[in-house]
Amino acid sequence: MDNNRQGAKASYVALVFFIGLWLILPSAVRRFNREAFAEFQAPALHLVGKGRDLARYWELKSRSPEELAAASRDLARINAALELKLHSLDDARKENIRLREMLRYPQSTEFVTVVARVSIRETSSWWQRIVIRKGRSDGVRPGCPVVFGDRVIGRVSTVHLTTSEVDLVTSPGFRCTAFLEGDEQYHVVHVSGRAGLSLSAPRALVSIIPLEYNPPAGQIAKVMTTGLGGVFPSGLTLGTLEAGVQSTAEKHMQTGALTPAKELNFIQEVSVLIPKYPTAGEILLTPADKPEEFR
Amino acid sequence: MKDVDGQNPSAPSDPISAWRLRAIFFFFSAGFIYVAVGLGYRQLAQNDFLTNQSDNQSRRVVIRPPSRGKIFDRNGYVLVDNRVRWSVKADLLALQPEFRKEYLDLLNKEKARFPDRRPDYDQLQQTARLNVLNAWLNKIWFVIDSTNQKAAKGSAKVKSTPDLHPEERMVHPDALRKHLNERRALKFPLILDLAFPNSGHAVTPEEGNRAVARFIEQFPVHGPITLEADMVRSYPNGKLAAHVLGYVRDSDILKGQLDDVIEDEFVNLQKLGYTGKKGADGIEATYNEVLSGRSGWELWTKTSSGYNKDLLKLSAPVQGANVTLSLDTKIQKSAEEALAKIVDSQGKPLPAAAVMLDVNTGEILALASQPSFDPNEMADRVTQIYFDQVNADGGWLNRSTQGLYPPGSTFKLITATAGMRANKIDWDDILDCGPSYMVGGRAFPEHEPSGYGQVDLEKMLAVSCNVWNYQVGLRTGPENLAKEARRFGLDTPLLRKPSEHDNHSTTELPNPATRMVVPDRAYKQRVAGEAWTDGDTANTSIGQGYLLTTPLHMACLAASIARGETRTTPSIIHDPGRDGRHAGAEPIGLTTPQLHALREGMVRCVEEGTAKSVRIQGLPYAAKTGTSEYFKKGEKAHLAWIVGYAPADNPVVAFCVLVEGQLDTSTWGGKTAGPVARDMIMAWQSAAEEK
Repeated sequence: MDNNRQGAKASYVALVFFIGLWLILPSAVRRFNREAFAEFQAPALHLVGKGRDLARYWELKSRSPEELAAASRDLARINAALELKLHSLDDARKENIRLREMLRYPQSTEFVTVVARVSIRETSSWWQRIVIRKGRSDGVRPGCPVVFGDRVIGRVSTVHLTTSEVDLVTSPGFRCTAFLEGDEQYHVVHVSGRAGLSLSAPRALVSIIPLEYNPPAGQIAKVMTTGLGGVFPSGLTLGTLEAGVQSTAEKHMQTGALTPAKELNFIQEVSVLIPKYPTAGEILLTPADKPEEFR
Repeated sequence: MKDVDGQNPSAPSDPISAWRLRAIFFFFSAGFIYVAVGLGYRQLAQNDFLTNQSDNQSRRVVIRPPSRGKIFDRNGYVLVDNRVRWSVKADLLALQPEFRKEYLDLLNKEKARFPDRRPDYDQLQQTARLNVLNAWLNKIWFVIDSTNQKAAKGSAKVKSTPDLHPEERMVHPDALRKHLNERRALKFPLILDLAFPNSGHAVTPEEGNRAVARFIEQFPVHGPITLEADMVRSYPNGKLAAHVLGYVRDSDILKGQLDDVIEDEFVNLQKLGYTGKKGADGIEATYNEVLSGRSGWELWTKTSSGYNKDLLKLSAPVQGANVTLSLDTKIQKSAEEALAKIVDSQGKPLPAAAVMLDVNTGEILALASQPSFDPNEMADRVTQIYFDQVNADGGWLNRSTQGLYPPGSTFKLITATAGMRANKIDWDDILDCGPSYMVGGRAFPEHEPSGYGQVDLEKMLAVSCNVWNYQVGLRTGPENLAKEARRFGLDTPLLRKPSEHDNHSTTELPNPATRMVVPDRAYKQRVAGEAWTDGDTANTSIGQGYLLTTPLHMACLAASIARGETRTTPSIIHDPGRDGRHAGAEPIGLTTPQLHALREGMVRCVEEGTAKSVRIQGLPYAAKTGTSEYFKKGEKAHLAWIVGYAPADNPVVAFCVLVEGQLDTSTWGGKTAGPVARDMIMAWQSAAEEK
């Protein structure tokens, strides 16, 4: 009985000791521990992602020849359509290069694209965060935009060696500036994430909409990146502005809800746009790269 | 239970001990009862009072000023608006750990440098706060200013913002000290307006947007530095109608009566307010109560050191009501552009004023005064340099309503009317008008050296003959001249608000002139202590001497003649239901031929007389020019006038233009003021055709 009591006492003492130790540890050591834990966790995340891919593979493998033939037909159609699109894009690219050369306009390819599979997604932060299978070793840096096609998914918030965490458009940690389709004055509006409860409808808030802005009649207004902030390229689609834009209490601006462009529930693969040059904000956040006056 | 001696061991051994025990028992009982009653009293009787006191200590109300109402012209065109202002602010509570760390660093350094000296702790704290805030401000400028490529190379070169003095890119110690003393609970503004980082140096809208976007996208979302959007006054047309619109200045709204907007239970809490705005001039000042709206409030918990902690409750401010002016932006613009073309030999615009009225309603369509100012410069904090510059130019004076000038030959309309009403002359009487006229032994000259010969009323108005007026003025007498001028309201203050609008200001525009002068014998005796002479009558008859009036009065005179009445009540507020009745107006009192001749003379003035250089093909209008003398800096200079109405046959608008000539320039009514009137009429015609 006494032994048991002493054992319980010892475990409490150990707990208090470790909590105390953690609190007094230098921040560099704590940071190292956290990083190390993330890297330790990374293979497990990879494994989960790969496992899901394998399950999908076996699911497809079990399909009947008829189903496969139909899928193949559909794929051929999509392929043909994409081929056509590719040709027209190629023409547009050539025309773009010609015009840029004519106007002596600098090349706009300021981003390098890295394609990444979604590794894991926690239900506790379903509309806030995903983990992707690309990290520091692939050149991913904090703050990089994450897209799917021309649709914005979110921004990289934390980078580990082989994985990265991405704040989704609906996360409270996400914000950017945008233009509204149909606004000929090009007023800059503010988009910020508003995470709801897990598995509830994902939303973001569009604010500072001028009173004179009226969404195009009978159409859903697109919300597009401005490209002014130095993080997102211009013209990417953040989502659509839901009907029912409301005036603020003071009635001098409007706010509205944004439905994300990409169905965030089913993201499996994304592209990370890595800027060729780090942004000023990124430099301030990365101690090693800080200019002298900010160290 | 007794001991061997048969005594109770617990009983006191003697009576004194028993008494002591009772006393102690009583003492402690009394103490407990006192505490219990005290607690009960505090809990039950004083509950409300103590709760209230506790709330007072732990909560505070922050007043949020409302947006002001907009100001429109008569066609719904926005003259005064509100724009979004993006301010970068520092949350001082969230920065406390950084302040403390910097303070300890500074303290250690100070102790190491001067081990024997007692550090100045207050100064060190202030320096620590400044260092931390300046470090953040440096980061903000770095993010806002540099392109990505430049940031990569570590060079933060100004790109989005205009060149700022290094001191303007740092936190001002006095501003921080004042904030900590007066508004510690509120966030400290590091950059008040990203689009206008320094008062007086606005960046382009695109550059302002870029600065905002760079901050939003590159600065951490959850940090001590935040970006807040509020509304600030904006004058989209710059200087246009600045004297009418006025400007706003900072106002500590806490000093006002705000208790009526706060819920009763919060009335006694400590209140703290953001700086609001109140009208300082123009319509912004006279209709301040209408435009101001209702303040909102926020209920916050506060920390022991006075910072705001959690927002408990809020009530949004309510924007002020809009005001619609009678101005027509197109006409106003044309008046100001035309005035701007009148410059002195050094190319500097001459002081001038222009007014255009609706003849029937009296609503003012244009009211311009030169030189002017840009109210945008005053919207946040006016720089001393700008204030001094406007002051030196005389730009604060609204010459249309506040400037007092001798009306010169435009007064001949009154002289002629007074003469005909007094039966001293008729419309078809012809007077012999030589090169001068002897009055009291002194030759009063004609402006045409050879004289005008045989002159009737129409010819007099066309050529502005002085001698005709000397003769008629002397026949009519000074009392009749003064009576007629007063009948037309030349000495009556204008722009009074209708009684239902009366609140703080009784006039539609601030301080319209009240010291107009229509002289008579009593006036001269009172002012100069001398008797009236015939020379004074001759001077008055041509609008010189002691006469003083404003351009707005002369525009009203023209509108009254156009309608055949004596008074026009001008108004700067648009009211579609205005019935065209004018306070104190009565029929002009001339026969039909007399009134016709008076009007025809004004038409001939434009067709063949002193204003013929500003005729408008296809649009006959009536006018009377004037060139009067006045003393500027002790030397004689000319004032150029033109008053009239258009169109001649069916008057819709009346106008008056005045230009203050310089000492070394020749300034003439038709030649100098006429083009402004012509441009205004053409702008009115164009606007009317569009409708």
